[in-house]
Amino acid sequence: MAMVALAGFACGLVPALFFWQEAKRRQQALNIMAASFQQEIADRAETEESRKKLEKALLQGQKLQAIGTLAGGIAHDFNNILYAIMGYVEMAEEDLPKESPMSRNLAKVLQGAKRGQELVSRILAFSRRQHHDLQILDLREALEGALDLLRPTIPASVTVQTDFAEGSYPIHGNQTLLHQIMVNLVTNAVDAMEGEGTIHVTLDRIPANHLLLADLPEAPGGYCRIRVSDTGHGMDRATQERIFEPFFTTKEPGRGTGLGLSTVHSLVAEHHGEIMVDSTPLHGTTFTLLLPLHSEITKKGENSYGQNTVG
Amino acid sequence: MARILLVEDDELVRDMLVQVLQRASHTVISAADGEEASEILKKEHPDIMITDIIMPKKSGITLISEVINRHPAMEIIAISGGGRLDPMGYLDLSESLGAAVSFEKPIDNAALLMAIDLLVHGKHETSA
Repeated sequence: MAMVALAGFACGLVPALFFWQEAKRRQQALNIMAASFQQEIADRAETEESRKKLEKALLQGQKLQAIGTLAGGIAHDFNNILYAIMGYVEMAEEDLPKESPMSRNLAKVLQGAKRGQELVSRILAFSRRQHHDLQILDLREALEGALDLLRPTIPASVTVQTDFAEGSYPIHGNQTLLHQIMVNLVTNAVDAMEGEGTIHVTLDRIPANHLLLADLPEAPGGYCRIRVSDTGHGMDRATQERIFEPFFTTKEPGRGTGLGLSTVHSLVAEHHGEIMVDSTPLHGTTFTLLLPLHSEITKKGENSYGQNTVG
Repeated sequence: MARILLVEDDELVRDMLVQVLQRASHTVISAADGEEASEILKKEHPDIMITDIIMPKKSGITLISEVINRHPAMEIIAISGGGRLDPMGYLDLSESLGAAVSFEKPIDNAALLMAIDLLVHGKHETSA
């Protein structure tokens, strides 16, 4: 009797054990799926957020263009005003005995006017949107060159780490302008860290169909992405929204003109690219630059980069 | 010393330049825009014309091309405050139209006076 009961119990136990194991396996599979869904949702949310940032960056570009035009108009009038001031002061100086207190003070007026002159010429340089020669170059080499030149100017207490993904990065660019972009970004990073911390520079490719590029002009070969991150004091949202505006600076008077990042913005635009900023107060800032990869050469078959797999 | 026609729409700059030029013993006639300058040139025959580029009514560019045709012996100095479009572009254009020298404002007046002396001097030498 006991045997039968035991056998019956065993018969029931085996399938039960089997089902229990199967259920556990399915539960695990579901857990994995849920995790991967969560990851995908997070990824999409992140991409969506980046896209929104990019949209904002594009709007910002239009705003900067308008400011540039305005600055050009103001600069013309300002040069006239400064010229009148300087001319009158020079005549007054001529009429006064040299070394008189009045003459010394007039020399200071002249000094001030000359500072004004320098500022106007910087505004003009910004608003003129000069047309520089762009040629096909390898962005990776250009970046390495810029960083080599920059290294001696970076304090020893700041570490520069680079992480460049393999491959070639042909772009339509200007070495000098790219250098200028990197100088501004790296100098800002050093300032933001008050001379101590780590600057991370990365380079990789974003494929053409990536959601992040939805609002950018089409580039068949996709885009290059440069990221310059620092471990500095970061900035709040309000500051982030204004950093590309000319004359906006958080540096103390005399230390920054507020033209560095607006210049970077216009130089990136000259490369038909976009720049975005992402920052967390107290944790650091990341600038992301997207520059279109040059793919015409590979299409025409004049492949000079040894990448026959493209196109 | 030279007889100079000064064409400048900014009143402060015009008054300042008149004084600077007179101090250097030049005779100065002034006009506030290109149209006024054209009127003056119907009666007066200055050695040198100093003209601004961006002006109301008639621009410096139009004025320069007129003067080159009607008064080929007159020396022209173009001055511009930059801005608007490309200031250097304007000055380059005025030089290719026939201006002898061009200056971007704010101008070093000592350099301007020197340029005037050189132009007047050169003219006397060639005509002598």
